[in-house]
Amino acid sequence: MAPSGRKHAKSQPRIIPGGFSVLPIQFDSDSATQHTLYIKEHKVRAEKTSRRPLDRTLFVLNIPPYCSEAVIRDLFSQFGSVQSVELRDHPGSSHESELKLSKLFTPASKQGFKVGYIVFQNSSGIAAAKKHDYDVPLVVSTEQHPVKTGVQKWIQEYKESFIQPDNLQEIVDSFMQDYDKRKEEEAERQKKEAEQQEEDEEGWVKVTRGQKGTKARPHSEAANKRTLQKEMRKKKRKELMNFYTWQHRNTQKEHIAELRKKFEEDKQKIALLRAQRKFRPY
Amino acid sequence: MKKKRAVAEDTAEMIPTDSSDEEDGNGAPVKAKKGKREESAEEELVYHPVKLSRSDLYRPPTAEELNQLKETESLFHCSLLKMQMEELLKEVRLSERRKQQIDSFVQKVTMLLQTVPESAEVEVSDLSWLSDAVKVPFLLVPSITKGKFHMAPPASIDLIGSYPLGTCTKPHIVVDLAVTIPAEILHPKDILNQRYPRKRALYLAGLAQHLISSSDIGTTRYSCLHGNRLRPVLLLTASGKDTASFTLRVHACPPPGFFKPNRFHPQRNNIRTEWYTGMQTSLTERSEPPTPHYNSTILGDLLPRAHLQFLSAVSSQCSAFSDGVALLKVWLRQRELDQGTGGFNGFLASMLLSYLLMTHRISNTMTAYQLLRNSLNFLASTDLTVNGISLAKDPDSTAPSLSEFHSAFQVVFIDPSGHLNMCADMTACTYKQLQHEASVSMQFWDDPTVDGFHSLLMTPKPMIRTSDHVFQLCELAKLQSSCKKLNLLSELMDHSGNYVHTALPFILSLLQQGLGQRIHLLTHSLSPDPEWSVESDAPKHKAQPPLSFGLLLRPDLAVSVLERGPPADSPKAAEFRQLWGPRSELRRFQDGAITEAVLWEGESMCQKQLVPKQIVTHLLQLHADIPESCVRYVGAMVDDVIKTGSEVPSTGEEESLKVVQSYDDLSRKLWGLEGLPLSITAVQGAHPALRYTQVFPPVPLKLDYSFFDRKKDSKALVPKEEKPCPVYITPITVICHMEGSGKWPHNSTAIRHIRAAFHIRLGELLQKNHNYTYRPCPKHLDVFKDGFVFRIHVAYHREPQVLRESVNAEGLLVVRDNEEAQALEMSTIHKPLLTSTLHGLQQQYPCFGATCRLAKRWLGAQLFSDDLTEDTSDLLVASLFLQPSPFTPPGSPQAGFLRFLHLLSSFDWRNNPLVVNLNNQLTAADYTEIKNDFMASRESLPVMFIATPKDKKLSLWTKRAPSVQMLQRVVMVASESLKVLEQQLMDSSQVQDVRVVMRPPLDAYDVLIHLNPKQVPLLSQAVDPPTVTYSRGIMPGSAHSSGGALPVVDYNPVSLYLAELREAFGDLALFFCDPYGGTVIAVVWKPKAFIPAPFKTSHVSARSVQVTGDEANTVPNVEAILEDFQVIGKGLVKSVEARTEKWSF
Repeated sequence: MAPSGRKHAKSQPRIIPGGFSVLPIQFDSDSATQHTLYIKEHKVRAEKTSRRPLDRTLFVLNIPPYCSEAVIRDLFSQFGSVQSVELRDHPGSSHESELKLSKLFTPASKQGFKVGYIVFQNSSGIAAAKKHDYDVPLVVSTEQHPVKTGVQKWIQEYKESFIQPDNLQEIVDSFMQDYDKRKEEEAERQKKEAEQQEEDEEGWVKVTRGQKGTKARPHSEAANKRTLQKEMRKKKRKELMNFYTWQHRNTQKEHIAELRKKFEEDKQKIALLRAQRKFRPY
Repeated sequence: MKKKRAVAEDTAEMIPTDSSDEEDGNGAPVKAKKGKREESAEEELVYHPVKLSRSDLYRPPTAEELNQLKETESLFHCSLLKMQMEELLKEVRLSERRKQQIDSFVQKVTMLLQTVPESAEVEVSDLSWLSDAVKVPFLLVPSITKGKFHMAPPASIDLIGSYPLGTCTKPHIVVDLAVTIPAEILHPKDILNQRYPRKRALYLAGLAQHLISSSDIGTTRYSCLHGNRLRPVLLLTASGKDTASFTLRVHACPPPGFFKPNRFHPQRNNIRTEWYTGMQTSLTERSEPPTPHYNSTILGDLLPRAHLQFLSAVSSQCSAFSDGVALLKVWLRQRELDQGTGGFNGFLASMLLSYLLMTHRISNTMTAYQLLRNSLNFLASTDLTVNGISLAKDPDSTAPSLSEFHSAFQVVFIDPSGHLNMCADMTACTYKQLQHEASVSMQFWDDPTVDGFHSLLMTPKPMIRTSDHVFQLCELAKLQSSCKKLNLLSELMDHSGNYVHTALPFILSLLQQGLGQRIHLLTHSLSPDPEWSVESDAPKHKAQPPLSFGLLLRPDLAVSVLERGPPADSPKAAEFRQLWGPRSELRRFQDGAITEAVLWEGESMCQKQLVPKQIVTHLLQLHADIPESCVRYVGAMVDDVIKTGSEVPSTGEEESLKVVQSYDDLSRKLWGLEGLPLSITAVQGAHPALRYTQVFPPVPLKLDYSFFDRKKDSKALVPKEEKPCPVYITPITVICHMEGSGKWPHNSTAIRHIRAAFHIRLGELLQKNHNYTYRPCPKHLDVFKDGFVFRIHVAYHREPQVLRESVNAEGLLVVRDNEEAQALEMSTIHKPLLTSTLHGLQQQYPCFGATCRLAKRWLGAQLFSDDLTEDTSDLLVASLFLQPSPFTPPGSPQAGFLRFLHLLSSFDWRNNPLVVNLNNQLTAADYTEIKNDFMASRESLPVMFIATPKDKKLSLWTKRAPSVQMLQRVVMVASESLKVLEQQLMDSSQVQDVRVVMRPPLDAYDVLIHLNPKQVPLLSQAVDPPTVTYSRGIMPGSAHSSGGALPVVDYNPVSLYLAELREAFGDLALFFCDPYGGTVIAVVWKPKAFIPAPFKTSHVSARSVQVTGDEANTVPNVEAILEDFQVIGKGLVKSVEARTEKWSF
């Protein structure tokens, strides 16, 4: 499956506007058709995390749904040893999740076409990949490494969906311990902050913004709204209705206006219905 | 090809466009119609909130305007209704242009008629003077009559009936022209023995012979008035392009006053038995049987001019008279009551209004709206079968009395002369139907929650949709022997040999007696007036279409298998035995009584549904000599598609009940669990099977363990790769709410973990206490019980709230709605609530569940189940039961299903919300509020808007689907299906079966993925039962109630495959599949995705690049995608068939 050096020298890699190299890929050796991967070195102005070093990361587009991270790692090791593979639904900056969740508790990822970030051990891998011959497609499923799809895959997944209650309990317990610990730490921190606001030995109080204990329970939006509404209601209650003659006259005028409006609305509705021929009984 | 492409585009297009052509699989006429509607939709037909300028709104009102405003406000509960009626009247009234056409044609015909040549006098039976081109419109039985006849120009020609009165309405404009036969042709004795009717027929034939040669006349045909063969008429249409727009009906009448009215007393005889039978009898004139129908027939010919005078006098006093009659006619026509023999036609409608005016029940100043309302009110409250009414103010002494009329006729309404019963042909059943319709109309008229106008005047009520069960008598000739069996010779003579009309009242009363408490109402179709060309003989009586009868069932009593009669020793027992014949037997009951009884067969609900069929066929066979083969009973024909069960056929009621019972038991056991850290606050079902609406309810199965692999550590069964896909076991969702407590964490991830812990704990306890096999997952807990798998979700009521809360940068707690929270609320709050509400509805209406199942089966079969979800369609069906107007709640699944299709196809989704008033929680004010909110934000709301008491503004259930295009297609397919299905059901000559509406047209799709039936677990549920069956790992026998290995749950390769396809190619195509055993996945490309797009990193999935110069454009890589279909579905996909060359452009 790997391209031979001889061929490599003869034919040219294909590059399209935008700087992407085109890399054909097919499911197995019998496949009649190919998808194409679009690859390019990963280049962004502000990459914050260290997980995608700029010089060693290859950016791959249009990875077919049957390619798992392991398959991609396998395919690209021919260009140089691969350090990590990250598959995403959409291109974008990576965000590391704060805590490691068990696979069971993370939402299932979409099984569509993916975007990949492949980090090689050294930067030569990128060049090798970009130089890859256009006429020699990558092959996903080989005899050595068959990729399961269809019924086989679904049965496999069904089997894997089982989890021993004990194991599950363990995962839950460890997470909850962890969670409680973090909760405690948080409480500890808040307590410390609260303490800081108390008198120190010399009788000084450190004054910070806000009242005591504001950090513990932040203001909520809903509470704000409620107070505003209360004010409005109060204002309304104080108003007098139909007290002066002009007010009374106004109400009457409003009533007629209301009737007129309804009449007009109905007329318009009719016009609409008539235009749609909604009055023909048969 | 090109057309087809345009076609597919429309379905696929997700963004609303002004698409011009709609695809359809069913033929050209629809296309044309569709195109027209599309066109009109293109015009700016959007509702904009009215904006009146300030000066317009606040200008001082004139007195007139104020009056008008006040009137519309007070007189009608909505001024809209008044305007709607006015618009309707405009639609049915004749235009001036049409009137001119009619007048000129009438003039032409009058001129022609006056020039009829005279002919020599011959014997009546001598037809030699007629040319061969014209036949006599009369059944000459017996063939010999005395008398002389010759042709002569008519004595006078006048317009009569609705046209001169101004009550003529569209469509089918009929103008009546009375031609007076000159007195010298007739003889005062002609009333005897059909002599006059025969002369009348001869005269018409003579006129036809004269007219047929004229170029002004388009077609000449014979018909007969109200289906009465003694009153033939000549139908003329104008030549030229307006031929079909109106018909001129020529009647031949005797000169006014030619016969003495007292000769037609209902108790007098005018047909002699000796003449009719041809045998010598010893009867004198006094002892001859009376011939009331014959008498009223001839009398009817004598009076039309007098009636016209009378009606004109009345209508000239009341300005709204003609509008009132027009409305009443529309109302009658929508109920199929105005046409045919014994119907309540327009003439009777005018007479009824005159009666109400004369008796001061309505005043001359009332509007058309009030006239309609008062006449319906009168009809609903007055029984003309018992208390007849009369228009005669001071009848002369020879006129018969009301009681004499009642003894001769079933329905009595006397004309102004006092001699004629205008309802002579009407059966009591027809009048009861009229009464029933009127009272139903009155019920919903005032209901502000119903669109009164629409239900009252716009919705057609064909018998097949109105009645719960329908049956037809196919071979009408068999009624001849019924007449013999029922001993109806004198009645037959009275009806001049029309055995259908003779036997009908007797059959009706027989059925009424037999069905008794089981039905609300027995109706029958009114046989249409026959029409035949002047060159052919009059058709025989049996030539008319089959008689249809409709039953409106009482759901609770109709399914009873026992007919309990009087005690054996009571005098009524003999009567009971006489009625039921050999089926009646003595039975001893649990209360010790020994009574006569009839026991009908029926074990399951679907068999019991057909008890009325057994009664009908038995009674007709026993008393009327009509064999079972002549009765075509249309009660449960459609139910076949949801029928299961090998020994006892069942449509799922029994299975659903078992599931519900098992669930109730589980729920009790959950409540009883001890040792949980928090207590359970609620256990709710959230699955269609728990509200009786699952299309194929789960059945407990005994599994063949050798068919499966075993999971080593958990003993659960797993499917084997080499075997066919195992039987599909539906997990039945149950929501288990846990008590709120401070112990719950305030973090969504932590809550999820706690729930998982609960799943484990619940499972352990259930196994320990009740020995149920269980399998905990982070998301749910599966419990195997009684052969069912229940999927328990633990829920915490504050979780959606926690999901919505977040702390923003400033430390402020903000609440933002998000999809995750909505989905959670949907599954833990809304679905269980809907399930329990609909479960209640099933208790109220026993055929609710079956209707839902039929509806969903249809949606599935037509590949719509992904767009109209189970919950949506259940709600739609619920609306049919909760707001049935103008019908009554469906009493059989078939009627319900037909109305479901009608609702889908006729509801104006664009301009109206569908309000489903579950539990009757919404008031009129709520309706207005919903409507106003809907109008205000129509554009942003789902295309199909369904409001419920708990969801007035959002239409939760239809938010995701259907899209505009899909809804359009659903509407179209529904209306086609309805049309085809009703034809199938009502027409016995149809070749195809009713399943034809369940077979989707596949030619609109771009790609078909054919599946390997071996891997389709629900294959046996397919519309057309499969020819091959696969072993799916089940054994005969009943399932264990507890224990056993966990079966393979919720493993359906087809749905897994569909999910993967949609995830991978959802941007490029739509995928459709019948979830109930469909072996084809239909694919439609989205045209948007096939427009070459510039290369963008976010938009290259499954696309290939084409480089032209500096530009790189991408298009879908179709060949590779088609191969991906194969790869992703390896083992399941048999073949991928690309039907269009879509990608080539």
